[in-house]
Amino acid sequence: MKPITKAATMLLAVIAITGCTLKAVGDPNRPITINANVVVDIRGLKKTAANIEDMVAQGAVK
Amino acid sequence: MNPFTTLTSKEDLIMKKIYTLGLVISLVILTATSLCFAADYGYKTMTPDMEKALKNRQSRYQQIQSLKQEGVIGENNTGYVTDLKENAAAATLAAAENQDRRVLYEALAEQNKLGSTGLLEIQKAFAYVQSEKAGAGDMVQSSSGDWKKKS
Repeated sequence: MKPITKAATMLLAVIAITGCTLKAVGDPNRPITINANVVVDIRGLKKTAANIEDMVAQGAVK
Repeated sequence: MNPFTTLTSKEDLIMKKIYTLGLVISLVILTATSLCFAADYGYKTMTPDMEKALKNRQSRYQQIQSLKQEGVIGENNTGYVTDLKENAAAATLAAAENQDRRVLYEALAEQNKLGSTGLLEIQKAFAYVQSEKAGAGDMVQSSSGDWKKKS
């Protein structure tokens, strides 16, 4: 393995382990608008849905 | 030590091992994180409309269950109930139930900032849960649109 590969591997490993910190620099009077996609956790939604349906069933008027 | 010297075969092997180990650890952490930490969606506040919708659903729950057992209404694949026999009374009840479900779904999307795409995912999640909770003999619509009696 060449030194450049070694250095790249080490850099990637450090980024993977420590994570990244992003800082935005700019004019606070001219904020930048970023359109981000909303990521939905389907498993979390199913859990919530099950809890709500349980609540409906348990509070059902007999 | 000169950083531009090439590594010996022993060092090369060690680096490869470290690289592989790092890759394996990253994969394990990613998998464990996705398995252990499902996002916690819930209602942050209960508005009067939501309370009303919830109470309405609770009060008609038994009636809905009976109609499901009779095959008059079924759980569709978008998180709502459908009148399957063109029964006027059942259609009215289904419309009221769907109206209340919609209030709850929209509140969940809004309070968790999930947007319109999130609302569709919420409906799918509820459809899945309703299908899972359906009793034997209940009519359930599959994701492809077919209606089947749950066995």
